[in-house]
Amino acid sequence: MSSLGRREQWAAYGFLTPAFSFYLLFVAIPLLAAIGFSFFYIDRTTLSFDFAGLENFRFVYSDPRFWKTFQNTFYFISLAVVGNVGGGLVLAVLLNRTLPRFVLYVFRLAYFFPVLVATAFITFIWKFLYSNDLGILNYYLREIGLSGVGWLSDARVAMISVVIMDVWKHVGFFMIILLAALQGVPRDLIEAAKIDGASEFSIFRNIIVPFISPVILFCVTYASIGGLQVFDSIRILTNGGPGDSTRTVVLYMFDEAFGVGDLSTGTVAALTLLIAIAIVVALQMYISRRWVLR
Amino acid sequence: MQTTTVGTPAQPRFWPRLMDACQVVHWRNLPVMIVLGVGAVFMMLPFFWMFSASMRPTGEAYALPPTFLPEHFNLDAYETVLGASFSFTQMYWNSFIVAALTTAGVVISSTMAAFAFSRLKFRGRMALFALLLLGLMVPPSLVLIPLFFGFAYTGVLDTLWALILPSVASPLGIFMMRQFMSTQPREYEESAFIDGASYWTIFLKISLPQMGPPIAALSIITFTQSWNNFVVPLVLVRKIEIMTLPVGMLVLADPTGDFSVSAVMAAISMAVIPLFIIFLIGQRFIIEGMTHTGIKG
Repeated sequence: MSSLGRREQWAAYGFLTPAFSFYLLFVAIPLLAAIGFSFFYIDRTTLSFDFAGLENFRFVYSDPRFWKTFQNTFYFISLAVVGNVGGGLVLAVLLNRTLPRFVLYVFRLAYFFPVLVATAFITFIWKFLYSNDLGILNYYLREIGLSGVGWLSDARVAMISVVIMDVWKHVGFFMIILLAALQGVPRDLIEAAKIDGASEFSIFRNIIVPFISPVILFCVTYASIGGLQVFDSIRILTNGGPGDSTRTVVLYMFDEAFGVGDLSTGTVAALTLLIAIAIVVALQMYISRRWVLR
Repeated sequence: MQTTTVGTPAQPRFWPRLMDACQVVHWRNLPVMIVLGVGAVFMMLPFFWMFSASMRPTGEAYALPPTFLPEHFNLDAYETVLGASFSFTQMYWNSFIVAALTTAGVVISSTMAAFAFSRLKFRGRMALFALLLLGLMVPPSLVLIPLFFGFAYTGVLDTLWALILPSVASPLGIFMMRQFMSTQPREYEESAFIDGASYWTIFLKISLPQMGPPIAALSIITFTQSWNNFVVPLVLVRKIEIMTLPVGMLVLADPTGDFSVSAVMAAISMAVIPLFIIFLIGQRFIIEGMTHTGIKG
């Protein structure tokens, strides 16, 4: 390599040093450490290690509560993905037309603002809205003659309440992304279809959806990965209850690692989460290669 | 020099302008606008309820049916929060310092790394970039346990550094900056190099000034992410003097504690205000940045 090329090479490594030092210290090494931890018993107070082999894995994978939390997480994901991506698509389609700039600005503000505000902040607001006797939602339900709903105290409803809040918070994000995708659909394609007499629905179904399908797939993947990691909202709204009805994988991991104090069990749960995320990403790649057009 | 008197420039009159504005409204879109408008009101209702509850006396905040505006307007709740036995202003300051330093760290390290990835040739470029992309998949909750461990060993636990340092590692930031840089022409950098400028000068004087908008987007996103971060401080911080706002809220809103709904809502209102201001100023950057890379706040 020429001396010029070598100089460039060293300069590059120099420029990469800050970012990669942080990356190694706070992502790569902790990840490897986590894999290592999963083979040890760790005492949280003395911070001592004892080799355990696969015992931690056996313990977690034979814990029915762990699989219950996985099931809950998938239940959450299935509802939240439909709500977020479906709702975002509906909003994007509605917004994708000539509107006065001011109106567009106000709508974007209203739908997008919850995305920016911490789940930890807004959840307290929703907790009051959802509360049984003093909650506003139940008050109006009773006003119109229905009985109040145990939004957070009924095991069958609690997860749905969590999803409603989740969709309220995140739908604006998917709206913005899908709106950008809709605006990228070439107009002449749609005009041509109109001239040929295609109906609005048929244009949507046969031109727009195929065209934005990569973005829809991205949104579904993104929402699924986010859903696998749902924590803040549930921790504050229900803390996993009533019973275990809203306990998700990250809550399980958190309780094991920092509640019970069993760091190694928590690590195994978190590693399983990483595997699940990897599967979702692999699925996305596979699907986009096979089915998504373009 | 010749001065031409043009008189006062023709003021655009009010009615013609209004008519112009109305022509932009396609009236067949009116039903859609109404539906979206009703939806928008519902989206904002929780925030409205928050502000309005924060300005009510304690008893009235629980009153049903809720009135639209406070009947007895007062700001006692704000006083309660600011005069609490623990320092709310301290939490506010912690949140700010953590978010500001994190943002500075992310912006500096990401732009530098993006410069290397998009402008320089070196061995292992593809491999290092792939390594970075793998990092995007790692859930923060997984990294948290070893971090807790490492910080406990090194005594960083329960300091603000425990909240700042891990968040500076931002594969997403590097990815975002590189994506932007690779769409920019590289001729400027190349000609500066031929003129004998050092890489550092090229980076500072030529590459950075082109990156205003994406840096703004990255800063806003990182700042709000840090401001809103809940899990990391929940695990890595126990002392109330080190707590940031999201975790502090948990202490504040503890049902066994002595804070009323109005006080909690006042605290949340104060915590949300910076986000609102950031949004009003930077909405263009945020939305562009998010559309290009897909990141949540």
